[in-house]
This record gives sequence, C-alpha cells and structure tokens, in this order.
Amino acid sequence: MSDSFNYKIKDYESNFRPTFCPGCGNFSQYRAIRQALVDLEIPPEEVVLVSGIGCASHMPNFVNVYGLQTVHGRGIPVATGIRLANPKLTVLVYAGDGDVYGIGGNHFLHSCRRNVDIITIVSNNFVYGLTTGQASATTPVGTLTRTTPRGSIENPINPVAVALSAGATFVGRGFSGDLKHLTWLLKEAIDHRGFAYVDVFSPCITFNRNQTFDYFRDKVYKVEESGHDKEDFHSALELANQLVVKDKLPIGIFYQIEHKTTYEERDFALNQGIIPAHSPLELTDEQIEVITKEFY
Amino acid sequence: MKQESVIRFVGSAGDGLVSLGLLFSKILKKHNFNVLGFRSYQSVIRGGYNSYQIRYSQDEVLTPGENANIIVLLNKHVAKIHKPLVNIGAMVIYDNESIDLKEFEYPEEIIDLGMPLGSITKEISKLRVLKNIVGFGAISYLLGLDDELIKEVIVEQFGSKGEKVIESNFQALEKGLEYAEEKGWLAIWEKHKYEKAQQMVIGGNEALALGMLSAGLKFYSGYPMTPATSLVHYLTKHLPKLGMIVKQTEDEIAAVGMAVGAAFCGARSATGTSGGGFALMTEIIGMAAIEEIPLVVINSQRAGPSTGMATKTEQADLFQVYGASQGEFPKVIIAPGTIQDAFDTGIEALEIAEKFQVVVIVLMDLYLSEQIATIRKLDMKRKNPRFQILDKPPDDFKRYSLDTETGVTSRTVPGTKNGMFFTGSSERNEEGTSLASTLAGLPETLPIREAMMEKRMRKLDYIIKEFKVPTLEGSKDSEITLVSWGSTKNIVKEAMMKLEEDGVKTNHLHIKYVSPFHSEEIEEILKDAKKTLIIEQNFTGQMHDFIRMKTGVNIGHKLLRYDGEPIIPSQIVAKVKEVIKE
Repeated sequence: MSDSFNYKIKDYESNFRPTFCPGCGNFSQYRAIRQALVDLEIPPEEVVLVSGIGCASHMPNFVNVYGLQTVHGRGIPVATGIRLANPKLTVLVYAGDGDVYGIGGNHFLHSCRRNVDIITIVSNNFVYGLTTGQASATTPVGTLTRTTPRGSIENPINPVAVALSAGATFVGRGFSGDLKHLTWLLKEAIDHRGFAYVDVFSPCITFNRNQTFDYFRDKVYKVEESGHDKEDFHSALELANQLVVKDKLPIGIFYQIEHKTTYEERDFALNQGIIPAHSPLELTDEQIEVITKEFY
Repeated sequence: MKQESVIRFVGSAGDGLVSLGLLFSKILKKHNFNVLGFRSYQSVIRGGYNSYQIRYSQDEVLTPGENANIIVLLNKHVAKIHKPLVNIGAMVIYDNESIDLKEFEYPEEIIDLGMPLGSITKEISKLRVLKNIVGFGAISYLLGLDDELIKEVIVEQFGSKGEKVIESNFQALEKGLEYAEEKGWLAIWEKHKYEKAQQMVIGGNEALALGMLSAGLKFYSGYPMTPATSLVHYLTKHLPKLGMIVKQTEDEIAAVGMAVGAAFCGARSATGTSGGGFALMTEIIGMAAIEEIPLVVINSQRAGPSTGMATKTEQADLFQVYGASQGEFPKVIIAPGTIQDAFDTGIEALEIAEKFQVVVIVLMDLYLSEQIATIRKLDMKRKNPRFQILDKPPDDFKRYSLDTETGVTSRTVPGTKNGMFFTGSSERNEEGTSLASTLAGLPETLPIREAMMEKRMRKLDYIIKEFKVPTLEGSKDSEITLVSWGSTKNIVKEAMMKLEEDGVKTNHLHIKYVSPFHSEEIEEILKDAKKTLIIEQNFTGQMHDFIRMKTGVNIGHKLLRYDGEPIIPSQIVAKVKEVIKE
C-alpha cells in the first residue's frame, strides 16, 4: 500500500474549519486523528468517522473521510453496523463523555464485550459543553455546574475500569495536552485487532474551571515509562483506580491483549471473507432450496 | 361433497402444540388441501392453557374457522378449562385413562372419542410424546387420510433422528388407526387417493423474511420481542448458507442503529420488533430519514398499551408508527393483508427503501405473523437492480444535491474513492455540512432548509406511483361497503361469502398502503358507498379516524375488537345485518 499512498494530512481536512471554542481540547484530537490515519497510511475513503451529539461529536464535519453523525449516544451501534457490513473499513467512533458514558452507556458496555474491531475515542471533559455546562457521568462529587448548583451529589463513573471489566481488549487513555503521545496512542488503538477504547482527558475551557490543562499537566504520567505490563489485567485495574484513590493520573495503554478472537473472526459470514455490503443480492438455487426446505 | 374440517388441539405450554400444529398442517398439505392454522397462547413457558386450531379445505381457506369439528384434549387441566368452548356435535379425542369428561360435565351432545392413549403408547415405547402420533392415527381415520402420505411427512420431519424413531412413529400411527377402526368410529370421510401437493406451509413472519431475502436482505438486527422474534430465529437458522449478518443486539436502539450503519455501507438492511421496541427505535428512524439512508423497520403489533397482552393480537399502533419520530419526513407504511402479501411486501419494502432512500415501516400484527398457511410455491429467483449508488462519483459530487426531480440523489458508500461526504442528523446543505453547527443562523441557510424539506417530501409523490391503487372488491351496487386494513383482509372476505349465502350483497375496500395514502381514490370509493362499516382490531377505530383525516369521509359504522383474539367472520356477519337493518 505504501507505494501508492500519497495522502497528506491536509487531504483529511474537510472544507470546514472546526467550530470548537478557541483553546478547546478537541483541537489536538482533530490533529491526532488525522495524523494517525496518515501515519498508518489508511486512505480517507476507507475510513468512517461516526459520532453522536455534543461538542466533540461535531468532529466528522471537519474531517474528509466518510462521516456520519448519529443521534445522542448512538454512535457505537451505528459504527458496529458499518463495520459488520464492510469489515474492510476502518471505523472510528468519536464522541464525548455525556454521549458515550451517559446516554449511550449501554452500547459502550456491550461493545466492550462484543469485541468488534472498531475504535471508540471519548473526548472526556467532565461536563456537558454543548448544552452549556451541566454535570456529566464523569463529573466529580461536589462539582458546581448549572444542574448541580450546590455541588454534584452523584459519584462519577470510572469508565476505564468499566471498559476493563466489560472485556475490552484495548483500553487506553490520552491527554489533549500531549499531542505526540495522543497520536501514538490512537495509532496503537487503530492498529489493534478487536475493540479499542481510548478515553481522552480533554479540558473544556468554557464550562470547566476544575479539570483544566494545568490540572492535568500536574498529574498525568505515562504508564509506558513506569514499567506497566499492558497484558496484566489486575495492574490495569489498579491503574484505572488511581483516578479515584490517588492523586496521580496515568495515561497510555492500560491494557491490550490480542489473543481474544474478534467478533468478525467468530461470525459465520465474515469469517468466510464475505463482505455483506458487496455480496450479490440474488439468491442461488442452492440457497433457495436450503432456506425453503422446511416449508415443504 | 367438499372436504373441509376444523381441528383444535388444546394443551399446555410444553405439550409441543406448535410442532404438533405444524406437523399436522404438513400432513394435510401433503394431501393437497389448503390449510390455515393459528395458535392462542399465554406468556408462560410451561403449563397454562393454549390451543392450536387448524382448518383445511379443498377450497381456499381464509380464516382458522370458528367451531371445531374435532377437538383434541392433551391434558386434564385444559380439559376442564376448555369445556365452555366445546360446541355441540364436536368429536372430542382425549386420553380416557387420565381424563374423565363426566367429571367436568361435558355435554351429552358431543361425540365422545376417548381412547387409552397412555396404554397404547406404552406398548410401543417409553416416549410419551408418541401419544400425539397415536392421536394422529385416530384423526386420520376420521378424516380418511392416506397413511402412506402421513408416513412421508414423518420421514421428512424425523428422518434425521434415525430409523428407530421413524419406526416407533409408524407403529404409533398404525395403532391409532387400528383402534379407531376396531371401535367402529364413524369416519367423516372415506379414505381415498389424493393429488400430489405443490404448495408450501409457511408462517407470516417467515414469508416476510423470504420476501426480504429474495430482494437481497444482507443485514438484519433485532432484540427479542413477541411476535417479531420468529423473524430473527428463522434468519439465524440459515445464516451460514446466506452469507449475511443477523445480529441480536443489547436493545432495540442498537438494533435499528446497526441496521442504519449497515445500510449506510450499501447492505440492504432491516430490523424488526413490536410496539414497545418500536418506541425505542423511534429516534433513529428520524435520523435515517434525514440522512436519507434506506431502512426497513418491521413492527408486528400486539395488544398494548405497554406490555399489554404480549401473546395477543391488535392493530393499535397505526398512529404510533404514523407519528413516529419528531419533525416531518417522507415515511412509508405498508400493512400486508395475507401471508402471500407478507412475502410481496418484504420485496417491495427493501426496494422502495433503496430506490427512494427512505424508511419503510412494515406493519404486521400477531395474527398475521404467527398464522401459518399453505400458499403456492414462492418465486424467489429475482434480479435485484441497485438503485442510485455511484461507483465512480463525478468530481462535483454532492451527496444531497438539490438538482433532482424525484427528491432522490445518488449516493456513494464507504470504500468508494472520491466519494467521501459527511452526513448527520442535523439539517444540511447539498454537501452534507450541518446547518446546525457550522452554518446555523446565516441568512443563506433559510432557503436551503426549505429546499431540503421539499426535496425529501417530494419523494412521496413518486413513491405512491409505485403502489397499486386500492379498488373495491365485490359489486358496486352493494348495500354496504366494508373497510379493513392489514391482517383482517381474509376474515372480511370470508364474512362476505357468508353474507352472500344469506342474500346480503357487500363489497370491500382493503387498505394495504397507509403512507403515502391514496386519499383521492379512497375518497372516491367511499363517497359513493350506500353504507360503510370499518372493521378493526382496536378500541378507537384508528383507521376510521385516519381515513377521515386524509379524505374527510366519515365511515358510518365501526366493528372494533380489542380482547386480543382475531375478529371472526360471524361477528362481521351479525354486525352487517344489524347495520343494514337500520
């Protein structure tokens, strides 16, 4: 492929510039996604970028690939359908914490166990941005938002721990303030065989005064540099809990295993190399006989 | 004399009523009879009170019939409950070692055909299920069936279970026959030769599935819900041979979402559910509509509201599907009337969806989904042209170009070079870019919004041209016009035949296409009618109100049934006589 691949990062830009607030963490993800696709030499026509609703979910407007914005929380099932209909495609879900962990939580859970080879990137800013600043599933207890004016009384979800226990085969976390590391992480996620999930600390500069770029810069450290074994499930869970119990925030690949078969490898049609989106629409005589035999 | 009968098996969940009904239907089909079967059951897995009624005839069979000629009681519990439904003159077959009809005060005027099923079966095998085959033997004696043909069916059904099983089934059959003969039972018909059968025995959901498969269905996703579940069961069973995806999902939202994703890639896709699941799918139906992604959604209605009566039939989701999802978009709703029609609708739905890039809703109900009947061999060999998919998009490709007469614009699917575009659940410009985020509020977007609405809605003007115009069945000068929609078509037809025998002339307007609606044609038909009666399986008369909304015509009379059981022809006969007397 590398001989014929001559796309540049500019080729992955649509005619519209991102409408995120100046300084938004989503800008570096916009850059990282395109850079990862160029580095991995995946041509734009073979990529589908699926989103939900929210600030982050505007992303497919700005990227020149096949883009599909769904309704709130439903990016994962739509992306799953795309991938199952045509497993030749690279299918990315990009949405926010409200979208994936809140309204779309059920799909998040099941995509982890299902192990369909799609990549889910969650821009996690700990707040609802597009609806002007309400508490999200990741908002810490005590946070003042427009729906929690006396401080949030709900415990936040620990999405990385959830993904691990639900059976995801690639679990990572990035930080919008470290573009180089984020690009590397997304490349690893896209390259992964099976469901890959990446949470990204992505400060909302308008509605979140707590989880800021400075806040994260003080706390994040790279697990790759701390001797973490990414195939060790239990230490991955321990790392995931650092958000809760210690004041250190690990980023990087928490967990990755490749020995679990993917959904595509287990599926009866896909494991024969069939691409449902391209296979003939006519039934053969043999097929007609098999599927109608029971009616005679 | 025309050979026709109604046989009712009464038992509990776990007695194998469904396989019994299917087996017996196949036996009758082998004899070249027409058959229609329907079961009545409860939402329990073991125990309870269920029945399976089969009617057969040399003529067309339109309904499962009302009174049964032969009633087979499979256990004591149901023998007691069923007593009020046993009509005078019925032949009642049961195991007289475990059931005493006198205990339940069955009327004298039945034909008591108790037989020691337990003892007879024990002579052959320890397998209790063989009781049913012994019973078949006795019934086949009464109906003059050909035991060689029955044996053919037994081999077809149980052949894979080995010779020993076949042999004991044969023995059971013969023992039943011998017993009836020895006891000198009076056969309804003499045994004679039958012509070779060419038909299929098939259920409504399976026929719909076959229609979709022959139209190139490549992706089906669903979450289990009665009475749509058998769609996913049937498709999954043949999965390895079909080379398609069938996916059970975590909920109905995921089911419709996955189907949209697959359709976006060019796979012909469908999802199916009942009203409750359909409620969950509603938001994504609107999304598929504004993104102009072809999608088929099946709603097999059951009695509501909410969980309602999960195993009972109703036609009360008309307004739910008509109003499904916020905003306005071109929505197609088709309500097939018969099993053959379900097959045809499966083809039509997938084709219309792709050709016009719209959501097509197929409105079934439990009565049609779960009824089984003989139909002529289905023609499944079809050429399936693709509609509006570009392999080589032009340089100036605009996915949502406004330069279109029909409202339809060509699309590309992922993987196609130079065909990339963005689509979203927001209103957009011709390239697909969202008017909500990027362009919102700019003065030039107002005419774009208008033009996009008009583009989408215009499709309806062309879709309706694809649909057969509804016509009046029966003589124009009839005293009364009967109106029905969806699954009740043949029930009305049978009632009309009965009325004709009684000297009452009726005609019939049946509605299959709910949206787009043939308003003018239907108004024309109803305006000229002397009296009008609508027949529906719901409380409020939803189609009555729908027709009034669309045509201004107020249908004069309603026959509404909402106890969960299908309307029966004699109800219609009585109502018609009442109305014409007024």
